[in-house]
Amino acid sequence: MVLEHWSKKNPTLICRKSENFEIKLRGLPQMANPQDDISQVVILLEANPYFWGERISRAANSAETTGFTFDRFLEHVLLFINSLFLLNQANRVVVIATGATSCAYLYDSQASEVAANARTARAVKKQSVVEKITQKLEDFMSKEAVCDLNQGMEDTRYSLLSGSLSMALCYIQKVLRGAPPHPRPRILCLQGSPDAPPQYVTLPYIAIMNAIFSAQRSLVPIDACLVGDQPSAFLQQATHITGGIYQKPSTPEGLFEYLAMVFATDLYSRKFLQLPGASGVDFRASCFCHKKSIDMGFVCSVCLSIFCKGQRTCTTCNANFAPNKPSATGQKPKAS
Amino acid sequence: MPNVRVVSRNFMEMVAALPAAKLDDLYESPWTCQAVVRSLPPLAKQYVLRLLFVEAAVSSKSIQQWALTDALNKHKVAVDKLEQLRVLIDASERKKEVAYKLNPKLQKQLQEVLRTGGGVPRESLLASFAARVPSLVDLDNYATKQWEAVLLQLVSSAFAEGASTPMNSSLAQTFQRAGLITIPKGKEPPKITDNGFQFLLMDTNAQLWQIVREYVASAEDRAMDSADLISFLLELGFLNVGEPYNLNILSAMQQNVIKELAALGVLQIQAGTKDRWFIPTKLATNLSASISEDSTAPSGDGCVIVETNFRVYAYTTSKLQAEILRLFVRLEYQLPNLVVGSLTKESVSTAFASGISSDQMVTFLTKHAHPHAASKVPVVPETVTDQIRLWENDRNRVQMSPSYMYKDFPTMETYETVVNYARDIGALLWDDPAGQRLVGRAERHEEMRNFIRKQSAPPRR
Repeated sequence: MVLEHWSKKNPTLICRKSENFEIKLRGLPQMANPQDDISQVVILLEANPYFWGERISRAANSAETTGFTFDRFLEHVLLFINSLFLLNQANRVVVIATGATSCAYLYDSQASEVAANARTARAVKKQSVVEKITQKLEDFMSKEAVCDLNQGMEDTRYSLLSGSLSMALCYIQKVLRGAPPHPRPRILCLQGSPDAPPQYVTLPYIAIMNAIFSAQRSLVPIDACLVGDQPSAFLQQATHITGGIYQKPSTPEGLFEYLAMVFATDLYSRKFLQLPGASGVDFRASCFCHKKSIDMGFVCSVCLSIFCKGQRTCTTCNANFAPNKPSATGQKPKAS
Repeated sequence: MPNVRVVSRNFMEMVAALPAAKLDDLYESPWTCQAVVRSLPPLAKQYVLRLLFVEAAVSSKSIQQWALTDALNKHKVAVDKLEQLRVLIDASERKKEVAYKLNPKLQKQLQEVLRTGGGVPRESLLASFAARVPSLVDLDNYATKQWEAVLLQLVSSAFAEGASTPMNSSLAQTFQRAGLITIPKGKEPPKITDNGFQFLLMDTNAQLWQIVREYVASAEDRAMDSADLISFLLELGFLNVGEPYNLNILSAMQQNVIKELAALGVLQIQAGTKDRWFIPTKLATNLSASISEDSTAPSGDGCVIVETNFRVYAYTTSKLQAEILRLFVRLEYQLPNLVVGSLTKESVSTAFASGISSDQMVTFLTKHAHPHAASKVPVVPETVTDQIRLWENDRNRVQMSPSYMYKDFPTMETYETVVNYARDIGALLWDDPAGQRLVGRAERHEEMRNFIRKQSAPPRR
């Protein structure tokens, strides 16, 4: 069942591999002015109720009074958003909530401007960023609760990172295709919940990797700031491939410090500032057949699909690997 | 070579030139703080954000460690700028180590801004006024009309034919102070200067800033406090475009400012039966937005198409556009909505003679390109840009640089060591071994003199 579903999706993956060559040919998309520090920041906000709920209960159990709860988290993020606007009034910010079962736009600084310009909206009292986000967040949470009741089967400890990443990339594409000058886009992932292991969620690996490669293609750096306890191999790879920054604050209570010191840096200033580099990126790929993380595996010589066991035929592209000699099945260890 | 760089965007330098106490007072207003931070170079902004919640003094060494070693120049520029504006103040405790901290007033205001998310400096008037406020389109038109009227007055002095309307006197004074026009004695009409020509080709933001800068510079003469004026101007930039604000509650000084800005099209004043209110136009947002040095404000809808055969078509009804084009284009005919002309050597040379540079012409043509032309790369055909540059080079065959001549060296050896030294430090402009003479750059004269003195026999010059 899993395999069938996956092979349907796979053509996109093949496309991606062949397009890697194109990236070099195409060169950079036209940015307005590389000297400018105007940024389009898309923030992927961890809004998985299970993750934050667990936080609270754990804090209560261990009698910690200063647990890093969602309220605190949101406070820090709002400060961060305000500081982005402080840096440059032309900065644009979009906030997308990454939930357990769905994702949603919480805030778009451009949209609010349009609404403010409309003559009808003039009389309406303007809401601050804080009010807008909290209101949208409430809506989002109540929807999440409904979704959860409907399909309570799935394990919801893991957030839909692939979904929110795709939404962010779509949004950025829309901006880049709009009228120039474009602000320089980047994505900031504030991830809390651990990476979804294969047995729970059908295809996180492939979906996320596809998103990462398309981010690389459109030269959008993905930054990642981990607020949870576990490191994320997905985001380590994402930041490494797209040239973003990966940070896992040792004390999430100081989140704003990290955001202001590291993640507020615009792409122009990054050329001049010392920023934390990647250390020990987990490059292991997941195999296509069982979605396990593997160090060594088998790679199809035709479509580069990865398997943990030797196969007679590639389940992706149906290439036949000389059935008489199973030893010569394009056996190559996966480069890591 | 004519000095073509008109300093137009250094409003913040004016702020920096204020005495320290006044500057500190300025930082009492959150609006000034925000405007100042936004005007900083990108790196300096990052430093401010990083230090925003740091109460203790930070040594300059550790700040320097934030920057990469090969970006040391940028780092120094950033820190210098921060010091000039007193955003960073010296907090060295011991003599040895230089330490900085953020200006406490600024720090407090900015922290507050982050917490509350800014907002608007003044409450706009009640919604009951909304019906009487012009629409945004009308407001834009009003702003453009006012601003063009201002520029047209300047242009009219460029082509002194008939001297149609006498210039508004306060405006004429401002122009004169900015060095854009000279007013000769007697009854002759004012004449536009080289700077004035260049001014016409700048974009609206830069123009507005230059005018405002002059306005502030002359504030003291008119018994206004320049610090108050600056903070009020910066505050205006944060108001929402198209919303009415009460005029009556402002101080007399501020009301005066509002009136003068209304003449420029930055604001529109409306009066009801007993209330008066003002409405900021899009030009007002420029007051806070355009101070950052390389902001790329999206240019408005352009109208100019340049063809490879040097023909220039401008689809415009604006008299101003036509007048500006006339500075360097030979106008051939004018239709109600179209101006046709061509770039000729004569027309371009006249422009060079008035101090307009080739870059300014090309930027003007590019900036005001018709959407159809703007989508092409390059916007202005290369043949045209190259030719304009060649024409300019024709004028600049001779370069002048201030220099010193050294001669009568005692020996050939001394002469040669001096020539070599001059070449090494890049001061050498010309040398003549036969006559033992050399010419060096004036700015390197000190070094040259010291070096020559050091040679055993001090030479005469």
